[in-house]
Amino acid sequence: MPRLVRRAGAAAALLLLAACALDTYPNTTFAPHTEFGRAIDDLWRLLLHLGTAVFLFVEGLLVVALIKFRHRPGAPDPEPVHGNTTLELLWTIIPVIILACIAVPTVKTIFQTQARASADALQVEVYGHQWWWEFRYPQYHVVTAGELYLPIGRKVNFTLRTADVLHSFWIPQMGGKRDVISNHVNYLWFTPDSTLSAAAWNGTCNEYCGASHGNMKFRVFTVPRADFARWAAHQARPAVYPDTSGARAGSDSAYAFPAAQMPDNAIPHTPLPPAETFATGLAGDPAAGLKTYSASACIGCHTIAGNPMSMGIIGPNLTHIASRRTIGAGLYPNDGLHLEYWIKNAHAMKPGVAMVVLGKGEIDPVTGKPAPTGTLTDQQIADIVAYLQQLQ
Amino acid sequence: MATLAAPTLIAPTAYGETGIWSWIATTDHKRIGTLYLFTALAFMLVGGAEAEIIRTQLHAPNQHLVSAELYNQIFTMHGTTMIFLVVMPLSSAFFNMLIPLQIGARDVAFPRLNAFSYWVYLFGALFITLPIFFGAGPNGGWFGYAPLTTTAYSPGLNIDVWVIGLQILGISSLAAGFNFITTIINMRAPGMNLMRMPMFTWMSFVVQFLIVLAFPVITVALVFLLLDRFFGTNFYTIAAGADPLLWQHLFWIFGHPEVYILVLPAFGLVSEVLPTFSRKPLFGYPVMVYSGILIGMLGFGVWAHHMFAVGMGPIADSFFSITTMLIAVPTGVKIFNWIFTLWGGQIRFTTAACFAIGLVAMFTIGGISGVMHSSPPADLQQTDTYFVVAHFHYVLFGGSLMGLFAGIYYYFPKFTGRLLDEKLGMWHFWLNLIGSNLTFFPMHYSGMLGMPRRVYTYDAGQGWDTFNLLSTIGAYIVGAATLILVYNILTSRRSGKIAGNNPWEAATLEWSISSPPPPYNFATIPTVTSRYPLWDGASTARIDGPVPSASELGIPMPYSTAKPAVAALAIVGMFGGLLLTRGATQWPGYVLLFGSAALLVGSLYAWLTSPLEPEHAH
Repeated sequence: MPRLVRRAGAAAALLLLAACALDTYPNTTFAPHTEFGRAIDDLWRLLLHLGTAVFLFVEGLLVVALIKFRHRPGAPDPEPVHGNTTLELLWTIIPVIILACIAVPTVKTIFQTQARASADALQVEVYGHQWWWEFRYPQYHVVTAGELYLPIGRKVNFTLRTADVLHSFWIPQMGGKRDVISNHVNYLWFTPDSTLSAAAWNGTCNEYCGASHGNMKFRVFTVPRADFARWAAHQARPAVYPDTSGARAGSDSAYAFPAAQMPDNAIPHTPLPPAETFATGLAGDPAAGLKTYSASACIGCHTIAGNPMSMGIIGPNLTHIASRRTIGAGLYPNDGLHLEYWIKNAHAMKPGVAMVVLGKGEIDPVTGKPAPTGTLTDQQIADIVAYLQQLQ
Repeated sequence: MATLAAPTLIAPTAYGETGIWSWIATTDHKRIGTLYLFTALAFMLVGGAEAEIIRTQLHAPNQHLVSAELYNQIFTMHGTTMIFLVVMPLSSAFFNMLIPLQIGARDVAFPRLNAFSYWVYLFGALFITLPIFFGAGPNGGWFGYAPLTTTAYSPGLNIDVWVIGLQILGISSLAAGFNFITTIINMRAPGMNLMRMPMFTWMSFVVQFLIVLAFPVITVALVFLLLDRFFGTNFYTIAAGADPLLWQHLFWIFGHPEVYILVLPAFGLVSEVLPTFSRKPLFGYPVMVYSGILIGMLGFGVWAHHMFAVGMGPIADSFFSITTMLIAVPTGVKIFNWIFTLWGGQIRFTTAACFAIGLVAMFTIGGISGVMHSSPPADLQQTDTYFVVAHFHYVLFGGSLMGLFAGIYYYFPKFTGRLLDEKLGMWHFWLNLIGSNLTFFPMHYSGMLGMPRRVYTYDAGQGWDTFNLLSTIGAYIVGAATLILVYNILTSRRSGKIAGNNPWEAATLEWSISSPPPPYNFATIPTVTSRYPLWDGASTARIDGPVPSASELGIPMPYSTAKPAVAALAIVGMFGGLLLTRGATQWPGYVLLFGSAALLVGSLYAWLTSPLEPEHAH
């Protein structure tokens, strides 16, 4: 009975610790949620334990030597020892044995994690761009940006490519990273644990890729399979405004990760640039916004399936932008205010961004002069935002 | 080990000649070493200031002390500065000051080439450092991965400055490398066979080979990039089908041996300091030699462990994983041999000894985290995060710099005739030890908790705030410690305690002559009969009056000449001209380029047709 109590107590303590860690350290590598992550974690624990043992032994030996053999006044000169073959052999051979203990599981894990993914895996094509992530689901005809939906318990195989420079694709809680290399195709696969519930995770770019390398983030949503199917089916449909089909976008069949379930760590806290302003109290008109959008620079870079004018492929696909939780590659929350600021002066919102400054009279922080592309009034921008917010 | 009697000590007068011209025209290895030392220390303040800006920006989430663009230049220059302008030149300072003295020679093999190396370093360092003040500082990271560094993605001057600057600095390292190899092979005193050579000279010998084998590789990589950027070739042009891994392989074939280029001289210094202060010979001298050579050789077979996330395939990953683990063996041997050098000794905790012991303790931590990276799957969670930043700072700050600091405290009296203040030294040591651990240890956590490296800021709520704040506090403490070192050097130069020939009762040849040594080093070339001549009965040269001059002793000395400095200036002028051709008007660039080329030819002609020393004049 006491043993049972002790075990229950230990389990509770562990659970508490785990819960605590997840809350405090949302991007920890110590609590993997895939088989890939766990294979790495097993190796890591081995390395950590052996490393700690070696550390304690070596530093302990050093400290003992320092205390024991410190200079004492009047002591005779020490014996001039030049070496000791046995000792030197020992500290050559023992490290070799320790390293062999690491090498064998290492090589095993290398081959295990780099095997081909099974054919029935969910295929996701990842494209790194300066500085945002594009995700394509060829099996579902979905193209999206900045947010990755993964069904719980299904193996997912990523095909990694870049549109420009090198990037590195990393979701710490799902496992190791993989570089995204120009003129190369890379692969990575894992299976989000079937025990997971709907949850949000953070992903980053880890290979330095220029000005906004630090702003090249993305969100990952692990969702139940049924919800994933609803999400994918909805995302594959064009987003038409005004919707004349009768079935409004955002109706029962659609799924998006509920905003209310977003943990604080997945909601961006990036402050707005202090020098920027936007007129308050403007009510946007989506119909006017559609017109302005379709006649402005926006369509040169962005695609909205359902808006035949909008077929650009340089920037993120905006088809279902209103279903996303963040904009600017995870830099700002996706709400009216941040969209307005973003459209008005993207250069002030994100260093180096390719999107042009669109607000009328706006100073381009890159050149320090009014941007020639700035033609839209605050009202027009509010209209565009109202239109975009219809694209559920 | 008799201490010198007080009356024999004379106030040191460092050099016969004074004035700025005597420094520009010097060919004396000791003065060139001094120039290296003070230039490198000045750039350490630059690189340190860059580090403090980085840490201030990251002390809390969403800070904007500097813009993303400037931050990227600062972190690029922090790495470039500390590696190429601080640690390598500090090592060069010791190569210059010590190698001829330790092997019983009067100078290096090519004194004027030696001066040339220094001036190329100085001008190259200014070339690569100053543009940051005009917003044109290099911004591609210290390993400058293609294709980010190609014109398509970095059209500005920033990367041009970096490519050309590294190219210039490479000339300096290569010239010095050949010079020291020749010196060590040819100029050892009678009886100084290889297995009697002091460990610092041994490790320096290995390092020179690493330099002459590794620098050509980065030179090729940089020439490709330079051709791409200036002349439109397509070595790294993605649109033309280039493979960006070409750059990565070339860079790391240089880059990994470079790590040993940075750390082996420090290992050598520690191997001098620990025996002296434990009053015991180095434990396992032959094994220390072989392990140093082995580290150098294996160092060329592990480069792709910087590329485990690249997707090289399981076979390449396994191969480079195992070679990387192997290199831990000779490194571990060194650590144990140092501990057993202390074991059984009479350890005197001078500042030099403390820094040497600090290297053993801190490098061990960097070594252990290095083995953690050697396992590719584990490395996938570590690479390009702050965990890696923690690792290589334990290697380069806890390792290289601690060892070089030990060397500075140990050899300062030999080269200035005055001791550094020990009390300030202990402040420096303890603040440095505490500060560096406070800076770098929390980075293990921020990395494993998901923080990527090279981000100019990070969002709130990611669990990284506390660790970053600790790192920033630690960085300020390290900054304070460094200022204490600078103050100590500046004041002790003039008013430190007079050192005498051999203040530490050390065993090697450099301690047998006066401090500072006379320009000709040894009045008579010594004959060496053991590894520790001063412990095995050889006497130190007693000085009872002014040091006799070279001409009084009939020793031929190299002429002073500024031709190497002019040649160095001309080389930098040529590259500067190339850079200017990128401007709106091209002709000033071409004028500078061809003018400097003419100056280079002229100065080389004058240099090569003038005699080195009076003996060669006829």
